[in-house]
Amino acid sequence: MSAMLDVSNLSKIYTRGRFDRTPTFRLDADFRIEQPAIVGMMGPNGSGKTTLFELITGSNSPTNGTVEVAGRDIHRVRTDERDRLAIHYHQSYQVRHFRSLRPNALMERAGSQYPLVHLFDEPQFNTQDGYIGFMLDFFRRLRSEGRLVFLCVHPNERFHLEILEEICERFIFVNKGVVTALPDYAGLLGFEPARAYLGNLLTERAAVEDAA
Amino acid sequence: MALFEARNIHKRFGSRVVLENISLSFEAGQVSGIMGPNGAGKSTCFHVLTGQHKPDRGEVTFDGQRISGLPPQRIARMGVSRSFQLMNLFDDTVVIENVMLALPAFRARRLHAMAAVFSDRVLIDQALAVLDQVGLAGRAWDAAASLSYGDRRALEIAVALAAEPRILFLDEPTSGLGIEATRRLAQLVKRLRDRYTIVMIEHDMRFLFELADRISVIHWGQVIAEGPPAQLADNKWVRRSTLAEATHA
Repeated sequence: MSAMLDVSNLSKIYTRGRFDRTPTFRLDADFRIEQPAIVGMMGPNGSGKTTLFELITGSNSPTNGTVEVAGRDIHRVRTDERDRLAIHYHQSYQVRHFRSLRPNALMERAGSQYPLVHLFDEPQFNTQDGYIGFMLDFFRRLRSEGRLVFLCVHPNERFHLEILEEICERFIFVNKGVVTALPDYAGLLGFEPARAYLGNLLTERAAVEDAA
Repeated sequence: MALFEARNIHKRFGSRVVLENISLSFEAGQVSGIMGPNGAGKSTCFHVLTGQHKPDRGEVTFDGQRISGLPPQRIARMGVSRSFQLMNLFDDTVVIENVMLALPAFRARRLHAMAAVFSDRVLIDQALAVLDQVGLAGRAWDAAASLSYGDRRALEIAVALAAEPRILFLDEPTSGLGIEATRRLAQLVKRLRDRYTIVMIEHDMRFLFELADRISVIHWGQVIAEGPPAQLADNKWVRRSTLAEATHA
């Protein structure tokens, strides 16, 4: 059976220009997620998180490698149906700018009415209004209905870590274009670049837990 | 079956999915709330429910009859009234005339002999009865433009009620209102709830939690949560929010 998401030998290389092919940024990813799950994604600004989301949803083309959603190569699916496989929500809006040189009529159908992979890019979490509870329940519902959920958070407050620990079963850490899959929250905290990135939040959180 | 139902509504604008598989149902005699952050798709959802937009997929039914795809005026005549986020009032007339213009009996006369209609005792009494429901009977002959913002909102609700609806949709009724006007509006909704089925779209969560029998939370163009306020409030993150005070009140 196909994995829900198979990112295989994927790379995206940005160069200085059309003629000067000196690379300015390179993202490499290779991971599989077999089953429905809620996956936390994080990494410093400019590390390639959004590029990775765009490659997964097919709104950005890879230099090499493939992205398969439930066995379908998303970059071969009609651009107007790619969001039936993987959908990207930026904060509260959905973003999609698809470009493809091939006409849709010559491309494959998505074969799905409702997106299989849902990528939430920095949803606005605010402890004041209570929406966090509704959002987290929604992520759980999607997972229970057989979907794969990515939650990209840029943790700058302690409760962001609480959210990630509460809801994410596994993690993906992106750092300077290198994508590392981590099995769980403990794995994330044991990964040195992630510890360095979370820095003060971890010490603050530990201090609060000690005091409690 | 609920009085008003939307099933698997889908709406796209260009390449953007604004509503994704939305299903909602509103029971007769209840106050239902729809809430969600800015940009969540609440307004588009409201326009689809009341017929201003046609859904790409899915259907809306009222009292068992399919209404999606019908012209908004026809849906209104079937007993679905709505208010607007930006108030649609005739400012150069008096308060009661705004209501009279919306009375079915007035519309039946098709604007013959305007002056005579505005002095018709039967129509005046009907309009006064509607104004009384929103607490504005005493202001009937004042200039509409002289009303406070809160009273204008009440007048707008009166205009919607003049059409003798079976279900009343209110679009962000608290928008632009201060604390005191919002409190008075809440009182008004409490009085109206015995006579009408009400659906409110609202971003003021406290207002909805206080008044609604059932709430649907919309985000990312989808229903992410729904249930009675007490059930929605039974959540660790809601208990930590400022909403907790409202739900314990």
